[in-house]
Amino acid sequence: MTELPFRLRLIRRDGASRRAALLAPLAALLAAGLVNFLLYIAMGKDPAAVFYAMLVEPFVSWSSFSEVLLKLTPLLLIAEGLAVGFRAKVINIGAEGQFILGAIFAASIPVWFPEATGGWIWALMLLLGGIGGALWATVPAFWRVRLNASEILVTLMMSLIAAQLLNYLLVGPWKDPMGFNFPQSVMFQNDAILPTLIPGTRVNVALILAFVWAGLIYLYMQKSFQGYQLLVGGLAPHATAYAGFSEGRAVWLSLLIGGFAAGLAGAAEVAGPLGQLQRSVSSGYGYTAIIVAYLGGLHPIGIIFSSLLIAALNIGGDNAMVSADLPKAAVEVFQGSLLVFYLAAITLVRFRIQWRPPQEVRA
Amino acid sequence: MPSPLLTLRGLGKSYGSVRANHAIDLEVAEGSIHAILGENGAGKSTLMKLIYGVETPDAGEILWRGAPLRVTSPAEARRAGIGMVFQHFSLFDTLTVVENISLVVPGTKADLGQRIRTLGQTFGLDVDPQAYVHALSVGERQRVEIIRCLMTDPRLLILDEPTSVLPPQSVERLFQTLQRLKEGGVSILFISHKLDEVRAICDRATILRAGTVVDNVDPRGHDAHALARMMIGHAMPEMAHARSLAPGEVLLQVDRLNHRPDDPFAMALADMSFEVRTGEVLGLAGVSGNGQAELTRLISGEWTLPRADAERVRMMGRPVGDRGAADRRELGFAFVPEERLGRGAVPDMSLADNSLLTAHRLGLVRNGLIDRTREAAFTRRCIEEFDVRAPGPEAEAGALSGGNLQKFIVGRELMLAPRLLFVAQPTWGVDIGAATAIRRRLVELRNQGCAIFVISEEIEELFEICDRVMVIREGRLSPSLRIAETDVQEVGRYMVGTREGTGGGDERAHS
Amino acid sequence: MTSDLNRRGFLKSTAATGLAAALAPAIAHAADEPLGIVLVLPSPLGDVGWGHALSAGLDPIKAALGDKAKITVLENIPEGPDADRIMTKAVADGNKFLIAGSFGYQNGALQVAKRNPDVSVLHASGFMTAPNFSPFAARYYQATYLMGMAAAAVSKSGKLGSVSAFPIPELITSVNAFALGAQAINPKVEVSVVWVNSWFDPAKEQEAAKALLAQGCDVIFSNAQDSPSVVSVCEEAGAYVWNLNSSMQKYAPKKYLGCVATDWSPFFSQQINDHIAGTFKGTVAFLGVADKVVKVVDWSKDIPADVMTKITEAEGKIADGSLSVFAGPIAKQDGSEGVAAGASMDDAAIVAMDWHVKGVTTPLPK
Repeated sequence: MTELPFRLRLIRRDGASRRAALLAPLAALLAAGLVNFLLYIAMGKDPAAVFYAMLVEPFVSWSSFSEVLLKLTPLLLIAEGLAVGFRAKVINIGAEGQFILGAIFAASIPVWFPEATGGWIWALMLLLGGIGGALWATVPAFWRVRLNASEILVTLMMSLIAAQLLNYLLVGPWKDPMGFNFPQSVMFQNDAILPTLIPGTRVNVALILAFVWAGLIYLYMQKSFQGYQLLVGGLAPHATAYAGFSEGRAVWLSLLIGGFAAGLAGAAEVAGPLGQLQRSVSSGYGYTAIIVAYLGGLHPIGIIFSSLLIAALNIGGDNAMVSADLPKAAVEVFQGSLLVFYLAAITLVRFRIQWRPPQEVRA
Repeated sequence: MPSPLLTLRGLGKSYGSVRANHAIDLEVAEGSIHAILGENGAGKSTLMKLIYGVETPDAGEILWRGAPLRVTSPAEARRAGIGMVFQHFSLFDTLTVVENISLVVPGTKADLGQRIRTLGQTFGLDVDPQAYVHALSVGERQRVEIIRCLMTDPRLLILDEPTSVLPPQSVERLFQTLQRLKEGGVSILFISHKLDEVRAICDRATILRAGTVVDNVDPRGHDAHALARMMIGHAMPEMAHARSLAPGEVLLQVDRLNHRPDDPFAMALADMSFEVRTGEVLGLAGVSGNGQAELTRLISGEWTLPRADAERVRMMGRPVGDRGAADRRELGFAFVPEERLGRGAVPDMSLADNSLLTAHRLGLVRNGLIDRTREAAFTRRCIEEFDVRAPGPEAEAGALSGGNLQKFIVGRELMLAPRLLFVAQPTWGVDIGAATAIRRRLVELRNQGCAIFVISEEIEELFEICDRVMVIREGRLSPSLRIAETDVQEVGRYMVGTREGTGGGDERAHS
Repeated sequence: MTSDLNRRGFLKSTAATGLAAALAPAIAHAADEPLGIVLVLPSPLGDVGWGHALSAGLDPIKAALGDKAKITVLENIPEGPDADRIMTKAVADGNKFLIAGSFGYQNGALQVAKRNPDVSVLHASGFMTAPNFSPFAARYYQATYLMGMAAAAVSKSGKLGSVSAFPIPELITSVNAFALGAQAINPKVEVSVVWVNSWFDPAKEQEAAKALLAQGCDVIFSNAQDSPSVVSVCEEAGAYVWNLNSSMQKYAPKKYLGCVATDWSPFFSQQINDHIAGTFKGTVAFLGVADKVVKVVDWSKDIPADVMTKITEAEGKIADGSLSVFAGPIAKQDGSEGVAAGASMDDAAIVAMDWHVKGVTTPLPK
């Protein structure tokens, strides 16, 4: 009897129903809603108020929705970039570090030229940010291609180094001389701040950039031969060698695209809502984007929806804290349980559970 | 009369709208060797999966010694006494042979290693228990699969094309093994399209066509042509015999090639020299695992040599030893690899996207973007011309049966109109009708002036299509033999090493 | 009941968002609308530390105003865009009194104040002011001076240490006063500082404490930590330890030297009353022993009686203004003159202090 005593098994369905696939997110929302409803009752909070603040308000209140769009911007940028690599099985988990480098590169302009004026400044900062992120990603690319070092480890390590570099700059050479020794740079001049897209909100031009980027990635992955080669590398590495596609180039492209996107997002963050370089620029977007990318099925269009979902969940969570007096921990429970139920639901779309009565088979 | 070991009644299985099996009736008697014959896509593999519990039937029932049996997993099937060796293997590449076996068979590794050696010696299935699976050739992996099954002491052993990777001498021994197993009361379900083999050892043969049973015969009472007709529904196509051509320009030249791989389990190649000219087919015979995989990769460009050794491999007169597969293909080289899934084709991609893998040179890509219309047109042509049984260009490669996928890959490479074609195992697992078609295409191509290099473990196939044949053994080449001047026995002797007087391990170990 | 009000509150606010901002005050001043008070904190609200002290400062107000006030405490809000959004949202929800509990909230909180003239904002530790925006800070240095006296009395090695959050003036003055107080008892005492650059990072704080202990420090000042990490490490190692804001005696029952506690309730009550009366003014609030905001509690019994007498005496003088902690002569770290004999640092100099006094051995990060 070497068999495990499991009586439940997952059996792959012959064909996943499209209707079930569409219903899965709703089912997940219902399940998470029910569980958390009971939790709020037990906590003595008004579930209706919580759910309104968390799930409805991000979409019906214009100010809330603008914040959703603001939050969506870096997630969409990074996740689209990462998904290219993930589909090529180049696992870049160091987007956080590339994001930080993008922020640092972008901040170099207002830090070194605080008096400069002109509309080109923010545009140059975004470009520099992308370059900074891509440069940071060249290190793991080089190590992987030349020395066959796992890019998973190297990108992660590079994130830690990036965080230390940021610390060094902020407590050292880039510290605001008038900032009472607080580890942050000077406030950026007006021309170093991204133009606001919608008056009265913090939504800026980076949002357009993020959607353009998503479109480019869609074109790249679905239509271009280079994107196709990356897909082949991810699905069947031996086929890459067979066809004569360069594996090294796939690694370089994947990491450079991911790094560029993360760097761009970092630049948009310092030049957008932050307005100065400070340690809180590293707030985990690079890691959240990994979840966003996989939730979106690594598909450029799916990622638009998953980044919207995660952004809305975050803003909704903040709303629930402020308006419905929900503790932060409870907000995180809701977000976590929604993800768990969603993953369970899509698993059930692809698999069915089989109840196997024990001891049925006897020779 | 005692109830048969295994009885199937009205068994059926559909995938969506496709009826893979329909109303299958079958009886396997105790102590018999029972053949399942059928073309690719006839439903043989599905039927075996139903019996082995990989898939569950939609209709009908399975009786085991007269009592109903419901198997929902291979583990249950094994417990009931059914073992199976698949056509595609289920071994973990990163584990050793003994580690793979210990996943299924209880016991210490030392004990298992000893049992593996004993079984290998008894049944002619030599394999090093400590070798890593990724370093084994296809043939060796199959041996591991067979050993693994034998270790669970089955009452019924299902073998899916077991002989296709074995040299003639080992096939003989395997047949002896099967005979001994049969005498010991183990029944054998034997899937094969080698009609002579079936006739040699099988007591019964059930013939499948399009998912249903068309006949149930004693194969010893029918000749190969009759069996083939039952299988494909019409008379077997005749093979056009190759007429000799005057040898032309040298398109592939391998000159004193030495290679020592990093992997300690891979075979080193020593001092290999040969050439292939326009209008000729050169064959390479040998027991798998003797360096074919390494030589294949060095010729295909999947592995490259240091720049200093560029001259070791020349194509179309140019040194290419240090160039990758893409550069070699640019010179007019095409290649069909041994593994279809994951190497020659990407299983999760459509046939259309698999066309792109090597046929992107034919104008399927413009300005860096894929031209979907041309891609689909190319794929449709390939499907039609090479009789690929697939719903269309959008069908996933992984959903095709092995033989159909092989037809597609061969078709794709032939449509590149190569000057030099390299094919490894052109008809492995392909049914007799399709195999004949593929061989005929190869000979046609040769007649048009293409230089062709074929690696095959089926000697008969090499004798059918080649002008010359060489044998590879332990990383060394035999002299090239003109087909007209040699025979299967001589090639077989080179394969096991007795010809050179080096004392062949295979012969001595088992005789 | 509360949640009912909540829902009504934000339904209204949702509607109001689309309307002209001018309508907002009208809604806020509707007859029985309770005053919404929001406190935003950078670290998790524990039962000790800075956040706890601020939060506790609101308790008497809750008791006094009852249904007329709705108090929301938002904890663990990272400084940056998220905090800005949350403060904006809180004000959009109709809250009128905002306490931004961390220096890092300065920019966002100031923006909120400028956009919402009817909202009053208190900002911890900052330096910017606006008509409806007041920075507030405690004169910790007055009490850390007293702790220095006690520390020098119980230290055997003469080496004192401090695990400090950020090298900003507020914390620098606390360390300096600690050193000056210690030197008043034993002129040879030296103080080492480790800056962890975080308000809340228990692992890093513990590491820093261990490093100081390894250097031979036997009294440790946990300067502005929101967790008892340093305190418990020192108790284990048998070194005296003390901290700011709220007592952590239960984490170090044997070696707890005392706590420079802050009681914000008098200040908060005053400011909230001003807001309701419409007399709120943006000023710098710098509150100390005399204001009863800063006070040492839980003195250790190990402090010798004669020193304790001196401490009580000094405390009285600080309260009545006859003793100034930063009265000259004070030498800088490098020996140069910091404050001339006979002179005394004024508040403007204290809130901008960016140098260490002699006796603090660790150089200040520049």
